[in-house]
Amino acid sequence: MSKHMITLNVNGEDHDIVVASNKTLLEVLREQLNMPDTKYGCGTGECGACSVLLEDNSAINSCLTLAATMDGKKITTASGLEKGDKLHPVQQAFIDHAAVQCGFCTPGMVVKSVSLLAKNPRPTEQEIREGLEGSICRCTGYVKIVNAVEAASKAMAGTAG
Amino acid sequence: MSSRVLTDFDLLLPGSLEEALEILDRERGAVTVLSGGTDLLVMMKAGFEADKVMSLALLGDLNRLEFDSATGLRIGARTTLAQLVDSPEVRQHYPALWQSARIFATPQLRNTATVVGNLLRGSPAGDCSAAVAALGGTLVMATAGGGRREIDIDDLWVSYGVTARADNELAVELRLPAPDSGTASAFKRLTRVNEDLAKLNVAVCLQMDGDTCKSARFAMGCVAPTMIRLPAAEAIVQGAKVDDETLARAAEAVQQDISPIDDKRSTAEYRRSVAGVYLKRAVQQACGFA
Ligand SMILES: Cc1cc2nc3c(=O)[nH]c(=O)nc-3n(C[C@H](O)[C@H](O)[C@H](O)COP(=O)(O)OP(=O)(O)OC[C@H]3O[C@@H](n4cnc5c(N)ncnc54)[C@H](O)[C@@H]3O)c2cc1C
Ligand code: FES
Ligand code: FES
Repeated sequence: MSKHMITLNVNGEDHDIVVASNKTLLEVLREQLNMPDTKYGCGTGECGACSVLLEDNSAINSCLTLAATMDGKKITTASGLEKGDKLHPVQQAFIDHAAVQCGFCTPGMVVKSVSLLAKNPRPTEQEIREGLEGSICRCTGYVKIVNAVEAASKAMAGTAG
Repeated sequence: MSSRVLTDFDLLLPGSLEEALEILDRERGAVTVLSGGTDLLVMMKAGFEADKVMSLALLGDLNRLEFDSATGLRIGARTTLAQLVDSPEVRQHYPALWQSARIFATPQLRNTATVVGNLLRGSPAGDCSAAVAALGGTLVMATAGGGRREIDIDDLWVSYGVTARADNELAVELRLPAPDSGTASAFKRLTRVNEDLAKLNVAVCLQMDGDTCKSARFAMGCVAPTMIRLPAAEAIVQGAKVDDETLARAAEAVQQDISPIDDKRSTAEYRRSVAGVYLKRAVQQACGFA
């Protein structure tokens, strides 16, 4: 097994850590950095619970990313979205629209929604559903999640500029 | 966390192409290439053993996507499916490839999965593999010391999961020919939800002269151990007027080209009954009379 010294910036904070070659970004976040907000669902790229944002706001599956390949990278997890004590508009919309039941999919869902809105600030319902493909929710039936993303899109348009 | 953990392995992270090629030369078959990892890491979590893994993560200059109307499209080894979806040139000039990228997996997988990785996985279900097989093209292989070899896409897939790549070779670029004004292409896939692999996929590329087809390349997936061309169906369409009658004959001829099996995603019987229909619809979509 090889070990790798990396600097990983998570939610604005640098971490200099040694990671084993076989550790995924998800394992390092949860077990080594004690940041359990990013969830482990399937481990094989299918459920989206482990989604995190790269610097350009694109989402990736942290369960299929080796931590050792992330040296020098900046990532944002769900808990890094809030500014000070103010929730991100997407987080607020998830609460306001009751888009959270058990909450297990929520961090990944929120991260994917932020990624979607960064690319497409005014998505149609169809575009929201396509943008959230690969994020599985076993509770809500998705309708409230779609409503929340629509509301967040409006709220963000109102505050832009 | 679960049984889906990665067992130990050594990870090599070359910082340049030359370094990567030297590693391949030195290690020969003992090192496994990791690109986006969306196939390989899943396989390793399921028990596929690799003692040494070489990641291409630091080879940033391999992610080019360049179109030239005279020479065609160049897709670097690290170019992702997301890059294809975002490219207006791919959308306009290579509809089959763009359509295969658009429905590929999930948004976050498209950000890491590579086109070249899809080809080299050698799966008969690969979606952009189907598109590339229909469009035609070559995969450029590099070896240490400046060696280069081009593999025609028709010669890439040897058997299930096995490609014509030699141990010491790294695929560096995929080249697709430039389309001309008569080129028409399309891709179609049959699946349960987007994130599932195909029950069946098909891609077509036709050179048209009015409504007559000068030449055609058809590719179908999930109907043989590898992605295949459909020579019997191609022969019917080539030189013919593309109309309902020709398409009905081509749809029938597909039966000679395919040898599907039952697996967890579908049955041989079902694949046989939809293969002709999907070929017909793909041609109709390509030629704009869907
Ligand atoms: C949830 C999920 C959904 C998926 N959905 C789809 C889908 O809809 N359609 C589809 O076709 N596939 C799908 N896949 C499969 C996979 O995402 C694709 O095959 C992808 O294109 C593989 O690319 P990669 O860069 O991740 O390859 P990797 O996993 O890194 O590599 C794949 C293989 O290619 C070899 N390789 C890669 N690059 C090189 C190179 N430059 N030189 C030499 N060898 C190389 C590797 O050694 C390995 O054998 C899915 C996978 C998952 C987990
Ligand atoms: S845990 Fe990564 S996609 Fe399910
Ligand atoms: S809220 Fe329970 S899985 Fe989505």
